[in-house]
Amino acid sequence: MFNNNWKIAYRSLLKNKFFTTLNIVGLAAGLTCFLLITLYVTNELGYDHHNKKADRIFRINTDIVMGGTELVMTVAPDPMPEILKKDYPEIEEYTRIYASSGSKLIKKGTTFLNETLVAHVDSTYFKVFSATAISGDLNTALNEPNTVVVTKSMAEKYFGTTDVLGKTLETNDNGSTIYKITGVIEDIPKQSHYRPDLLFSMDNAPYQFGQLLSHNFQTYLLLKDGNNAASLEAKFSDYVMRHVLPAAKQEMQINSMEEFEQAGNKLKYSLMPLTDIHLHSNRFPELAVNGNIQYIYIFSAVAVFILLIACINFMNLSTARSANRAREVGIRKVLGSEKSTLIRQFLTESTLLSYLAIFLALLATALLLPLFNDISGKQFEVADLFNHFFIVLLFFLPLVVGLLAGTYPAFFLSSFQPLQVLKSKFSTGHTKGGLRSTLVVVQFVTSIVLIIGTLVIYRQLNYIQTRNIGFNKDQLLVINNTFALDNQKEGFRNEILKLSGVIGSTNSGFLPVSASSRNDRTFSTQAAMTSSSGLNTQIWGVDENYIPLLGMEMKYGRNFSKEFGTDSSGIIINETIAALMGIENPVGQKLYSGNNGGMTTPYTIIGVVKNFHFESLKQQIGPVAFWLKPADYSMAFKVNAKNINPLLASIEQTWNKMAPDMPFEYSFLDESFARMYESEQRVGQLAISFAALTILIACLGLFGLAAFMAEQRNKEIGVRKVLGASVQHIMALLTRDFIKLVGIAAVIAFPIAWYAMHKWLENFAFKTSIGWWIFFVAGGIAILIALITVGGQALKAAITNPIKSLRSE
Amino acid sequence: MIKISQLEKIYRTEEVETVALNKLSLEVKEGEFVAIMGPSGCGKSTLLNILGLLDDPDAGSFVFNGIEVAGFNERKRADLRKRNIGFVFQSFNLIDELTVYENVELPLIYTGVKPAERKKIVEDVLDKMVIMHRRNHYPQQLSGGQQQRVAVARAVVNNPKLILADEPTGNLDSSNGNEVMQLLTDLNEQGTTIIMVTHSEHDARYSHRIIRMLDGQTVMENIMV
Repeated sequence: MFNNNWKIAYRSLLKNKFFTTLNIVGLAAGLTCFLLITLYVTNELGYDHHNKKADRIFRINTDIVMGGTELVMTVAPDPMPEILKKDYPEIEEYTRIYASSGSKLIKKGTTFLNETLVAHVDSTYFKVFSATAISGDLNTALNEPNTVVVTKSMAEKYFGTTDVLGKTLETNDNGSTIYKITGVIEDIPKQSHYRPDLLFSMDNAPYQFGQLLSHNFQTYLLLKDGNNAASLEAKFSDYVMRHVLPAAKQEMQINSMEEFEQAGNKLKYSLMPLTDIHLHSNRFPELAVNGNIQYIYIFSAVAVFILLIACINFMNLSTARSANRAREVGIRKVLGSEKSTLIRQFLTESTLLSYLAIFLALLATALLLPLFNDISGKQFEVADLFNHFFIVLLFFLPLVVGLLAGTYPAFFLSSFQPLQVLKSKFSTGHTKGGLRSTLVVVQFVTSIVLIIGTLVIYRQLNYIQTRNIGFNKDQLLVINNTFALDNQKEGFRNEILKLSGVIGSTNSGFLPVSASSRNDRTFSTQAAMTSSSGLNTQIWGVDENYIPLLGMEMKYGRNFSKEFGTDSSGIIINETIAALMGIENPVGQKLYSGNNGGMTTPYTIIGVVKNFHFESLKQQIGPVAFWLKPADYSMAFKVNAKNINPLLASIEQTWNKMAPDMPFEYSFLDESFARMYESEQRVGQLAISFAALTILIACLGLFGLAAFMAEQRNKEIGVRKVLGASVQHIMALLTRDFIKLVGIAAVIAFPIAWYAMHKWLENFAFKTSIGWWIFFVAGGIAILIALITVGGQALKAAITNPIKSLRSE
Repeated sequence: MIKISQLEKIYRTEEVETVALNKLSLEVKEGEFVAIMGPSGCGKSTLLNILGLLDDPDAGSFVFNGIEVAGFNERKRADLRKRNIGFVFQSFNLIDELTVYENVELPLIYTGVKPAERKKIVEDVLDKMVIMHRRNHYPQQLSGGQQQRVAVARAVVNNPKLILADEPTGNLDSSNGNEVMQLLTDLNEQGTTIIMVTHSEHDARYSHRIIRMLDGQTVMENIMV
């Protein structure tokens, strides 16, 4: 019997090639989308799970509010974990990462190469995190100073082999430092929130240890089995009282936490599970670009909806075709078939179709992987589609889809009364169309929400690109590592300025894009620091050319100038600082700086620069001030060259002459600026792709349905035409109902889309509005697409000679 | 009213060429009631389709009301059709989704009659056909005879000069059939020209003239007394 079912299913599908094709293509498109998103979502959710102790590892997060500045950090003070471990026995081990010293130059042969994924870590690193050793004992590898553990690819890069234990690496630390390789590990898995290439001994970290008030170390605690993080977290306030407060009293004249908090300040430590970091941590500084759990939710919902839409198509087309199958059902019943047999037959059919579709979908997914990688920024391989999870998924998903999509049609079709259908009085009139209409509405609600989402995302991206950000990011060439020029810095600058197409330069590594250097410091508005006089701000060393070169504007006062000999004790603040001070025009006021409580060095405010965005538009504009100090990590040049490549070549030539050991590294400010919104760009592209797919699938369904409707109403159309109906009239008749459904879908979709996009825009401190026109455009697009889809079928039906349809009677 | 001469219609499929009408000539005067008879496949329906301006002949002349209509395009034929011709089919061809009233109203909508006027005309016709009490019912709720009465009502609502009936009693029992034939006779007596295709000698006797066809040609004419 089962065999017979397959045979009938196969023949029936073959007989109705048009609907079978529509069904399979629609399902395959939906499944392709589902597979791609599943690939993405499972990948994002799998971060850091490869660590054997992942469920017991927690990172200390720090939240500070002080002097009007809010700091949301991933880092903790260096002595903190040791104190905690002593005080609280539930902590089994801890390890710290110090990555604040930035990249290192590593010598290969006679030249230095720049390595960015480097850090100093505690010797306990491998007791907390899992790694696969190729050689060396990871438990003791970093016990001594001047030791380094390297990954396989680093070993191969510098030595051409992994057999490097005991060999040495020379770095530019303090001019030159030699490290002995004491361990080689497999490359850290891609799904890690941090993937260092070189792990140096903590003993060599360029840091003055023992600072309870400075936060510079990513700190991970390994808890003993069976302990929960919440109860440990509750004890952190006790740690603050006993250890942090005494230090704060000494340095900042803060006498009690109450007084500190009453002044609007806050200091809070918390624990974040290791496996939450990739998707839930949006703090500073992150060791790598993290994902975003919101997008995981959104994409998962999209995946489910797209699959649902594909299933809905299936149901729609199957039940719509019911009239064609009614006679078959009637005859089978007369011949003695039971209802359950028929249900089985129809389910077999839908499952067969579903397996055909997943086969197609798998092919499509494999073919689309390179494109998807491009959009998603991942590196999936075809092999990823055949891991245990996916094999199980590929087997069961079609079964579920087949049953889900097939059950309703199966019950619907099998319940026909044989006498009724055989007497040909059976009619699938409008009464049976209620569910189908609902399903079409659901499809178009999803499509319209996605269209609106896409439009809003692109509107916001456009807003970011075109908003007045307070400086001119164009044509600014940034050359990094200029400290390597030593005393030839001025010479280099003058050489470059001589080149045609170079307009000006500034000597500063502090630039208004996220990837740039940062430096913060707490000033006091009074000569003595009190809990209310503190003012935490970014403070950037710049030269006189900085403000004009970047096209920033002064609101009050003046820029630094060589004509004033006193400018080295001058300071320029932004509007945010002025607002924090509560003074409209604070030019002439003083800000005090100093160490260990003594706010002894006064700086006179000589100007207020208009606010400019120096972080992503997701954030409010924080306080930032400039002073005249050399910041010799980078140099920026304003260039105005039609053809940039020859200019870059000449600059590199000059560089190689003056700093032969250092690789030439440059970037353009506008490109760094664009990179701040990379994840939004990605999401925009994904949203467009998914919206297009959803619409495609919905249209396939609509197309099939329209074809069916035209077929069903063949006789009616014939009669109407005989009675004198025009082609336009028939077209209107056939399209009107569908357009009405799309209209209803739009009405339902609008508030959903508005709410969702309103939520999304809340991520941005500076955002565009959701213009009303977006709703009109989205609705218009949907109706237009529906019209085109249905219109073809309607036209075909409308121009058919009526005698063809009436003769068949 | 109708004058056709040397009319030809040939259906071609890939392999077979079927001559449906073979140089057929025929004249029908205004006010006549003509029955067309013949075995299946003799070309009756093709002739009726051409007479009803639903199809175009391949050759020959067709003068309708003094106008040569052979070669008219679809739009012109449709325009002429909806003002001058009413159809009655064997299988009624009522629209299931519309009520009796709405079915009868349809031709008036297509000829652009105003709503208020439509109401009056439709009610008049329904009254005449004694189907007024069923005006809000759907076709499926009516007996075959009632359905055909609605179909006749729809055919005459535009006051056409010509009614084309294709086996109007084919799906009816004899008493309902007689009733429909009586309706057609009444209409004819009021001046409407009727051309009816039928297999039934009984029904044919209601007409003035019987044209017998074979292989796309007329082979015999009987004048009824």
